Amino acid sequence: MDDLARSLLQRLIRRIPRQVLKTTLSKWARLSLQQEESLDFTQPKFVLMEHLLALCAENGLGVKHITELEMIYVIDNPNQRKWNAYQLLEPRDDALSVEMIHFKEQFKVHLVALIRHVSIKIKKHTDEAVWIRLAWGDSLSRPNHLKPSYVVHHLQTPYVFVTNVTSKRMTLLNQALVLATRYSSIKDANLSGRKLTAIRDLLMKQYQQVFPSKHLQPLGEKNQIISNPQVEYEQNEQSESRLQMACEVFGGGALPELQTAIYKLETKLKDNPNKSMTGREQPFRCVVKFASTNILESLRHGAMTGIASTPVTPLLSSITQKGRNHFVITDKGPSSQ
Amino acid sequence: MVDRHSSAVRTPLLAQRRSRSSRQSYRSYVGTASHLGYTPGFTKRRLTTSRLAPRGRTADEVSPAQLALLAREWQLSYVTPLYRFRHGQLKTYARQLAAFVQSEKQQQGGGPVEAGAGMESTLKVSFTLVAGMAQTEADADTVFIQPHKALWSGWLACVGGDPDYMRSLPEDFVCLPLFCRGGAAWLSPLVEAWFCRTFDCCFGPLEINAVSLQWLAALWTNCRAQAGVQPLKLVWSLPVEPPLEVTYAVHPQDAWELWRSVRRPLRERVDEEEEEDEDGSVGIEEVEGFIKGLQSHFYRHFRLELSAGQLTQVSTALGSAKHGGRLKISNGSYMVTTLTLLTECALLKMPV
Repeated sequence: MDDLARSLLQRLIRRIPRQVLKTTLSKWARLSLQQEESLDFTQPKFVLMEHLLALCAENGLGVKHITELEMIYVIDNPNQRKWNAYQLLEPRDDALSVEMIHFKEQFKVHLVALIRHVSIKIKKHTDEAVWIRLAWGDSLSRPNHLKPSYVVHHLQTPYVFVTNVTSKRMTLLNQALVLATRYSSIKDANLSGRKLTAIRDLLMKQYQQVFPSKHLQPLGEKNQIISNPQVEYEQNEQSESRLQMACEVFGGGALPELQTAIYKLETKLKDNPNKSMTGREQPFRCVVKFASTNILESLRHGAMTGIASTPVTPLLSSITQKGRNHFVITDKGPSSQ
Repeated sequence: MVDRHSSAVRTPLLAQRRSRSSRQSYRSYVGTASHLGYTPGFTKRRLTTSRLAPRGRTADEVSPAQLALLAREWQLSYVTPLYRFRHGQLKTYARQLAAFVQSEKQQQGGGPVEAGAGMESTLKVSFTLVAGMAQTEADADTVFIQPHKALWSGWLACVGGDPDYMRSLPEDFVCLPLFCRGGAAWLSPLVEAWFCRTFDCCFGPLEINAVSLQWLAALWTNCRAQAGVQPLKLVWSLPVEPPLEVTYAVHPQDAWELWRSVRRPLRERVDEEEEEDEDGSVGIEEVEGFIKGLQSHFYRHFRLELSAGQLTQVSTALGSAKHGGRLKISNGSYMVTTLTLLTECALLKMPV
């Protein structure tokens, strides 16, 4: 095995937890059954690593195969990278009928035309998602497999999710994507997060939507507000209406695990008792960040309990309505960017 | 008052001494509803409603010994007054502490494996005086403790402690209520144990409550000269499920202007151009006005009540403070003001 393949494999083994490693290796199917069975996953990792390196050398495996292994791992465990979402705009007539083979071909052709030295690996996953692994090089060096980028595109949707791409390369990547998918342009969707599944579900609205209805169904086990029965009677109507509004904005049931939302505020200070600040022309610059293991559930709970006033302010409801979590707010309204 | 606290007493010696002396706890001295515990609502009105904010000092004015206190994150505790602690005996204490730590480690059969710290060699400790921190005659000088080659240090301080309270302490007691420690966790309990048995004191965790955090936010913002480009950052924790953390970072220039606008009506200053405050005192109403201004701007956009949550962290270019009792002083300016506030917190938190 050459040095690059060795170091790639070593890094991978170090990163992958043992239980996951076993499954990933069998999916990879580059080791014979006997070889797989010979691996002892109860041993310390450095012992396991040596054994695995020996087996791979035995089978004559190289960089190509190790990157395959990495891809399998990332596809099965997508929730540990920082993903950014992009949206394709203005589909041409045949955009929605773009098939996998066509996309694959076109993407490779266009990207290589833009950047000669790039290593591309494309794989279709079961849920209609196309996964692309990119290792970038330039005229002076070979593709760098130690810092790959991943791109996920759901065919027949305008959404693309990208991790680990510099802004310079993003421009070229965007061009290739637009051409391969038969759209006219692509923009930053202002949505990012560690959990790919969460941002995907949010963007594609794959969670329980709640619509205005006169017949209120409580959330069942989610409705955990414990209160005094007499107080509850008084506040029943108000809390029901808060519950309804909270669910309309944020959804019912389990919500996508979005973990942060960032608002860059550049608005003037108003309602300030000190006239000197109210007259001020310049905006009051601040950045507000919301963080939690699941901010949508936190905000929904806040709306239900009254910590967040209902109706929910458009700044917060935009997270679900527009599927984004980065905002720049000026006095002229949210920036269109 | 005394009866209730004797049930909380940890060492029998302490009970004996109390019967000899007529020492009062700081809280009962001040006369607040102290038997109910430290209630910020009462104490802030009875106690410090205004604090001195000195003109910003440049970093040059910080002595080399004081530099050791900067730019590290410390964990805070309070310490009850030390019985027969002598600033002249620091070398002896250093030797005693070193011997104590060494013997404890041997008794524990080697203890945790410390990378690089060869415990076979004799541990050396140094106790140094950090001069220039004392604000009044009653303040005891800060003492800095540093074991050599162990990644740990700590210091005891009393800055701006109430002189009347200090005078009320019996003669043999030295008040150094603020203890800051940082580094390898295994050393802290040993150092504390040695202090407890040598000076008959006790340690306890010191949290920085929301009022103190607000004071720090205002005082640190007041020092415009050192603000640099670091924002004023405040972190709240909101009681929802799952808990939501809100980080509110304000551009330092805008924070300064909001602060100045809060102060202006109360000071009726004419001069538009002043950079620093000539009148060096800051009042609690100004602090409250500042925080309210920030909260109402937030509410206007998000319609979320920050005051329903808890302020847990404040940071600026001058330093950072966390509710759990973590402190970092990044800059020599306002070090004394910050420590005065924290000394007061420590004195209030002490059960004795």
